[in-house]
Amino acid sequence: MTFIPDAFRQRYGPLVDDEDAFLACLDILLPKSFRVNTIKSDADSVKARFAGYGIGITQMPWYGDAFVSETPDIGATLEHFTGAIYMQELVSMLPPLLLREELKDARFVLDACAAPGSKTTQLAALMGNRGVIVANDASYSRTRALKFNIEKAGAINAIITNQDLRNFPHMQFDAILVDAPCSAEGTIRKNDKLFADWSEKVISGQSRLQKQLITKAFELLAPGGVMIYSTCTFAPEENEAVVDWLLQTYPDAVIEPIPEMEGLKLSHPVEEWNGTTFNAWVRNTRRIWPHHSNTGGFYLARVRK
Amino acid sequence: MRDRHKRQGNEHPPQEAKAMVLGYLEERFGLSPDEFKGFGLYMASKGRVYLGPERAIGSPRIVCVGVTIARLSGAVKPSTNLIQLFGRQMSRNMVALENKEALSYAKGEDLLLPAERLGHVTPGYVALTYLGIPLGCGLLKDGSIRNMLPKAKRLELRFI
Repeated sequence: MTFIPDAFRQRYGPLVDDEDAFLACLDILLPKSFRVNTIKSDADSVKARFAGYGIGITQMPWYGDAFVSETPDIGATLEHFTGAIYMQELVSMLPPLLLREELKDARFVLDACAAPGSKTTQLAALMGNRGVIVANDASYSRTRALKFNIEKAGAINAIITNQDLRNFPHMQFDAILVDAPCSAEGTIRKNDKLFADWSEKVISGQSRLQKQLITKAFELLAPGGVMIYSTCTFAPEENEAVVDWLLQTYPDAVIEPIPEMEGLKLSHPVEEWNGTTFNAWVRNTRRIWPHHSNTGGFYLARVRK
Repeated sequence: MRDRHKRQGNEHPPQEAKAMVLGYLEERFGLSPDEFKGFGLYMASKGRVYLGPERAIGSPRIVCVGVTIARLSGAVKPSTNLIQLFGRQMSRNMVALENKEALSYAKGEDLLLPAERLGHVTPGYVALTYLGIPLGCGLLKDGSIRNMLPKAKRLELRFI
């Protein structure tokens, strides 16, 4: 049983529809999921191969390249070896997926916090390996994992850069992904050490950084371009409050609605927190609670310039 | 010997090096340079050749561009990435592995194949496949295939 701090329960209990179900779910290991890497294969071929292995997999109705496996053994398959599949958490597939239409024509895309590269390689697949993805990470050591995954997936259109986003030179991107560093509360189901470093101080520190990242990323967006801001945490300070901050800084930023996903429940965001009511546009953002669709926790905002 | 090769590799000006890589891939594997249309070749340290987007950017700090497709050290050494990505477009010097051989290859082991299965290939780098799926690179020398799979990519497979 994972130890859950009282402060955590007090913060998020009132935000969820069913507190018991929410807390119980945090203790259940995440199912193994993967994405078919369409640079190297396709969903039908992978389905046929896995049927031959006798490994049961379930295709997600909201994304035909996303699968959940009934066994954790997918790391021992030929498809994992050749890079035909990429082990990736379901909710982590959402930010690139929300850009799917824009990516068909996008020439210049920024993955602002790219390591270890699951979203970069998915962007490359959705772009048919054309155009350019600038896959940036502030940490040089983390760019090694990024490089390994880009090579394995065959993401030819990716360029890895190592720069603190806040000092990024001025460029204009057609689409930007800011999967921000965060307190990662939503990953508790795969990281039982999470609460060892958890505190409200960590949350407020991340929130400060995220506000700088979202405004800088908005400045790097070409007029008409779209940015996805996402985190894998529950803290409103790192989610709704960050989007609210962007709207305070750039009132002309448009927070676009996020389309419904078949078989994946998207929930409304928090409208006020600690006595602060957020800008009404923040209501277009979405949360994913782990107990609704058996996933990790996630937050998504779609911003157009 | 290795040092001499390194020096030779560095002597190639980039344009000549690029032509050398493309020429080798076409001659050895029947891989047409047209397959790389719309992409660009980039030379990096230690003779590494990258295939990346046609136009790269000048800043900020670039770690690398695209994927490594070969290494130049006198001769051209094709990478596992190259074969996994473009193996289906190759037509020469390919060796189809059987189940147990593919498992050994993925583990990083060298392969000793009966001579009659190697009649169609010449000594040098070969593209290894299993059921038509390109797996990676081997070096055919003295009748055996040396495993060229980078250590980080080696896996003990149970489902193939």
